[in-house]
Amino acid sequence: MKKSHIVMLLTFLLVIPATLFFGLRLSGRAYYFTSTLVIIEILIPFLLAFERRKPQARELVVIAVLSALAVAARVVIPIPSFKAIFAIIMLSGIAFGPEAGFLVGAVSAFASNFFYGQGAYTPWQMFAYGAGGMLAGFLFAKGRLPQKPIVMGVFGFLTTLLFVGPLLDTCSVFLTLPTISLKAAWPLYISGFPVNLSQGTCTFLTMLLFGNPLLEKLDRVKVQYGMTEEQDGL
Amino acid sequence: MRDDAFSKRHPAVNFAFFIGAIICAVVIQHPAYLSAGMLCGGAYYLLLHGRRGVKMVLGMVPVFLVLTAMNPLFNTYGDRVLFRYFGRPYTLEALLYGGAIAAIFVEMLLWFGCYNAVLTSDKFTSLFGKLIPALSLLLVMVLRMIPNLLRKGAQITEARNAIGRGAAEQDTVKGKLGEGMTLLGALTSWALEGSVVTADSMRSRGYGSGKRSSFMIYTMTGLDWGLLAALAVLLVGMIVLGDRTAAFTPVLNIAPIGGRNLPGFLCYLCYLLIPIALHIKEAIQWRISISKI
Repeated sequence: MKKSHIVMLLTFLLVIPATLFFGLRLSGRAYYFTSTLVIIEILIPFLLAFERRKPQARELVVIAVLSALAVAARVVIPIPSFKAIFAIIMLSGIAFGPEAGFLVGAVSAFASNFFYGQGAYTPWQMFAYGAGGMLAGFLFAKGRLPQKPIVMGVFGFLTTLLFVGPLLDTCSVFLTLPTISLKAAWPLYISGFPVNLSQGTCTFLTMLLFGNPLLEKLDRVKVQYGMTEEQDGL
Repeated sequence: MRDDAFSKRHPAVNFAFFIGAIICAVVIQHPAYLSAGMLCGGAYYLLLHGRRGVKMVLGMVPVFLVLTAMNPLFNTYGDRVLFRYFGRPYTLEALLYGGAIAAIFVEMLLWFGCYNAVLTSDKFTSLFGKLIPALSLLLVMVLRMIPNLLRKGAQITEARNAIGRGAAEQDTVKGKLGEGMTLLGALTSWALEGSVVTADSMRSRGYGSGKRSSFMIYTMTGLDWGLLAALAVLLVGMIVLGDRTAAFTPVLNIAPIGGRNLPGFLCYLCYLLIPIALHIKEAIQWRISISKI
């Protein structure tokens, strides 16, 4: 077994249950603190796996470009509050596989917060965006789902509405509610719903209109510069 | 940002301070500690942002009040009923608990506001450049590419406007969306081709052939080591020397702050005051040196 796999397994089997066990015994039931620690403990092995692998220059630069595009897309499209960031993260996962999808998601969340401000939500955002990209990679990369614009669009819409958005709402639930109960939490989820819906719609439209062109462009670059998947680890 | 003595210290000191302050802010629910945190966070925020910070700090007041008043609506534990609405009790315990949670929220906003001003991206990457070289390089590249992409995007927009194909204000959403996608596509092609050239250039200059050194403008001075030690000692002092028990519901149980618990609280207060003290010390020295001229 590889060293990074052992670290990952240890984290999932030992460190996270231990954090939950001690966190829930902290005075004042520190939900936010405990849950954020767990999120960070999930993030670290994934990020370290990339670090250990000593990535090639091409892999590094392509991931950097895709992350920068995901952040910049927010500004480039001339419609206010139209965010293409999720779509680009998921398309990166579709084009280059789950690991690249995760990295593009986590890095673009972190980098965009240098412009919009880091906050209590930063680890949650990194995790949610990264997991979205990874999921897209798993489902589309090996042909489990067809890479058709409409399929990708519906997938993007559902993931944003039902997974990424609610996860970020959970962060605010843990941060602002003193006692966690379904009765106290549902208003926060309901008030997050319109935002998630509009972001889901943005993701759907971007996937529909931009999904195939982006994948074609990536293929073109691969062919033009002779980047094969085996050679560069992409 | 203006000149701030604490921001000029080594990034490790800055990072350690904020990690400690933010974790304490989340974990400790004792009213005295929370008030100290809010006051120090607010004061340091004002020192960092000057007049522009006043609006943000004042804006915290309604946030605090609304979050405080909201809690008793969901949480009816406690036996000191203030009043009843629709037959449901609105209790003092729940109100105080709401205050504590609201204070944590406000403290987070304030400390993260200070963090964003002090720990800029260059400090972050120089701090972690040795520990996680590939990821920090990735982050540096992304942060450098974003303004680059925006500039190129503006150029493409201008060029398209000049040939009469850009999006105009009166365009429909559909038109704007199509235009945005065209722009994004052009930008993607440009960025991806550039990226391959960058990567080849990196490889031919020996990326990955040896250990990466990183540009390090910051060196640890005696004062930095002293500050790190002080931060550690004060945190340990706070943990050992004070009782921070604070339970709100169902029964109010808050440890008194005076007497045996006082040293712990003072340690926490000194910890939070470090950046402010450095700032004031520097301001006084500056005044003195001006008056000597």
